[in-house]
Amino acid sequence: MSLAVDPGLPVEIGTIGKELGKLWEESGDTKTRASLINLAIYTENPDAVPWNTGLIAEIAGEHACRALLIFADPASGKSEARAWISAHCHMAGKGERQICSEQITFELGGEMVHSLPNIVFSHLDSDLPLYFWWQGEFREPLDQKLWSWIDRLIFDSADWRKPVEQLAIARKIATLNAERTILCDLNWTRLLGTRFALAQLFDHSCANARMREIEKVSITTSRRSTGLLLLGWLATQFGWKFQSLLGKEFFLPQSGGHIDFSVTEKPGADIAEVSFQTADVSFGIRREEYSDYFHGYIDGGGFCNTNMVLSAGKSRIEDILLMELSRGGKHPLYAKAICAIEPLLGH
Amino acid sequence: MPDTNEGNPLREGLSSRNMPEPCAVVIFGATGDLTHRKLVPALYNLAADGALPPAVSVVGFARRDKTDEVFRTEIEEAARKFSRQKINDELWSSFSSSIFYHRSEFDNLEGYEALARRLDELDAQRGTRGNRLFYLSAGPDQFPVILENLRKSGLNKAQPGSWARVIVEKPFGTDLPTAQILNNMVVEAFPEKDTFRIDHYLGKETAQNMMVLRFANAIFEQLWNSRYIDHVQITASEPLGVEGRAGYYDKSGALRDMVQNHLLQLLCLTAMEPPAGLDADAIRDEKVKVLKSLRPIVGDDVRKYVVRAQYGAGAINGKRVAAYRDEQGVHQDSVTETYVALQVNIDNWRWAGVPFFVRVGKRLPKACTEIAIQFKGAPAVLFNATGETIDSNVLVIRIQPDEGISLRMSAKMPGSSLQIEPVKMDFHYGTSFGKATPEAYERLLLDAMSGDATLFARRDEVEEAWKFVDALHDAWAKESEDLAMYSAGTWGPTEADELIKRHGATWRRL
Repeated sequence: MSLAVDPGLPVEIGTIGKELGKLWEESGDTKTRASLINLAIYTENPDAVPWNTGLIAEIAGEHACRALLIFADPASGKSEARAWISAHCHMAGKGERQICSEQITFELGGEMVHSLPNIVFSHLDSDLPLYFWWQGEFREPLDQKLWSWIDRLIFDSADWRKPVEQLAIARKIATLNAERTILCDLNWTRLLGTRFALAQLFDHSCANARMREIEKVSITTSRRSTGLLLLGWLATQFGWKFQSLLGKEFFLPQSGGHIDFSVTEKPGADIAEVSFQTADVSFGIRREEYSDYFHGYIDGGGFCNTNMVLSAGKSRIEDILLMELSRGGKHPLYAKAICAIEPLLGH
Repeated sequence: MPDTNEGNPLREGLSSRNMPEPCAVVIFGATGDLTHRKLVPALYNLAADGALPPAVSVVGFARRDKTDEVFRTEIEEAARKFSRQKINDELWSSFSSSIFYHRSEFDNLEGYEALARRLDELDAQRGTRGNRLFYLSAGPDQFPVILENLRKSGLNKAQPGSWARVIVEKPFGTDLPTAQILNNMVVEAFPEKDTFRIDHYLGKETAQNMMVLRFANAIFEQLWNSRYIDHVQITASEPLGVEGRAGYYDKSGALRDMVQNHLLQLLCLTAMEPPAGLDADAIRDEKVKVLKSLRPIVGDDVRKYVVRAQYGAGAINGKRVAAYRDEQGVHQDSVTETYVALQVNIDNWRWAGVPFFVRVGKRLPKACTEIAIQFKGAPAVLFNATGETIDSNVLVIRIQPDEGISLRMSAKMPGSSLQIEPVKMDFHYGTSFGKATPEAYERLLLDAMSGDATLFARRDEVEEAWKFVDALHDAWAKESEDLAMYSAGTWGPTEADELIKRHGATWRRL
């Protein structure tokens, strides 16, 4: 088993704290260690280690942290644990000082994968919250000691192959320490720019006045799960209830009638288009794949014809993670949004 | 028509910051420096952050003759130069289409009536919903005529379901009577709840953090009183001279230019009691109580508690600089103070016996604004019993530059002997939170568009501050020979050192 990247200075696991201390002593006054959170990343994909190392370097520039990168290989016949330490530094202010975050990389093979909780607990920066990005699928049985320690459990439901099962496990994890653990789905954070743009669209009086007259909503997305989550959010916020009747699926608005919907997968932007249709107006937002902006439009309705440029937010996973780290707080709307489209997840 | 926040369910949970309602922002003095350097870049940055509804429109109002297109081109140049974020051509194109120019003399009522018609058209075209935000960015001598014409033209009156607000830039008068006159004029046109007196210091991140530091951290508030605090130092220093503002500054001076507004605001944030809530009036009520508790400095106390000074020739950053009186536009025998240091006493239970030393000056060695809480020393037993001086704790809140908080404490030096040295725990915003913080004007514009007046000065705050400052000025007017001198590039006159020395303290070395 070998990592496809130089993960830093190899160290004995029992001496990590001491070796990190030396690292900072040797750097003198030119470097300042900073940390706001513990960020643990778990992956079972060896190819993801260099990518994650690059990601941590980028994150550390804006969000000082102690990063624990854990590469686990449960299938390995060799039961061993190895560790490396490194630092990610960037210049602060006018370049007088370097601000640095620490990274500890672990490689766990075979039986040693079970020592994950101990590895994590013994290398946390004390008193700082633990953000844990679990890359890949959740598995039962759950180790309560580990999961109940997590302040923010980060995952990306866009990667789930079996979303119904995975969602059930994620919810179970959240209940292990409901006071503490917050579920942070990057697929939800990914929608932030789209949600802002749609909110801005509905700030416009023409769209705003017609939000109870919507007859159809169509979403074009690169991933069905992302489009469904957006649909769930719209349904929650507008008060639509999902209905399935005689093989036809639609939403029932509070104002009566019904709302048709479609979620179409197409390569390109995460959300390429969201359009709304009423009796007299069609309006929505549209985005080219590499554009930073949505084009908002309102067509029809007499004086309503208008176009606008709306920030689409960022799409790279590094930026999405940074957004998640910066926002904090709970995600009550996420829980509601996913409930609203849960019957559609299994399709 | 529903309001943005209440009528748009998609806004829920998107941001903890205020979300403005669609409105037309009318800037009086649209060709001025503030519009180019601060206001338009701030609005662009808000748009780039998705914080502005697309319907927000900006109307520049000024005397020079130009078209919308020419105005847009001019401010685009400025925005490219001064914006915190790089200008994106696509977004600028959309943003600039919401910018318009309206030519009129400030004293021409017809110009305002034409403005009203134009704003009505924008309501129909852009969905600004009849909401108006008037920004008085022109010279203060123009405020009365602008306010009068806003009133005469009916622009100050909002349609049912809409609002009309005014932002007033400092200076809010030049003394208490002029402030009262200005406030009366404002109140004739706009109710207090729709009046936003801007003090950009309050929009700075660290100033806002002062309340969080004090009231979200249990350890500090317990110590925040005369039992544990020896004195407080508030400093605002800058190496710059008058920089083309001689006409204004020579009439104003450091006391009126900085102390009456910015520094007294910082003092209030430091000294106020916990407010009953986080709403604007609850916070401003507490600040006013502090201002009302300031012991007036009158009579002989002026010499005892205040030092005013003016800079002579000297050197800043290795370059010779002229004396204040030799600056262009400054009167040769000017007695305007470019530096002032004062001991402020707050007569209330919390602060009885704790002096607040405030100093502000131009042509000082470096730019720095900070609040330093100097705690009392530990009792003279144990480590303090040997007679060795052990530095007392200092909590410093740095407002600018390098915003942050530091705490000085004593620690034993490693080794077999007992040697105690001061060490510093230092929190830098830039280190912990890497991303650039928004400009103060971004926050303040957003708040004004959202109707949140927390970070703006209320009428009684402004007038109480003037009462305090006027008493000093009156005394100075009688005794102009009290002006001390200091060389440019030094930390002020020796008289200021004497002032703080009487309390057994020294100014912090910055």
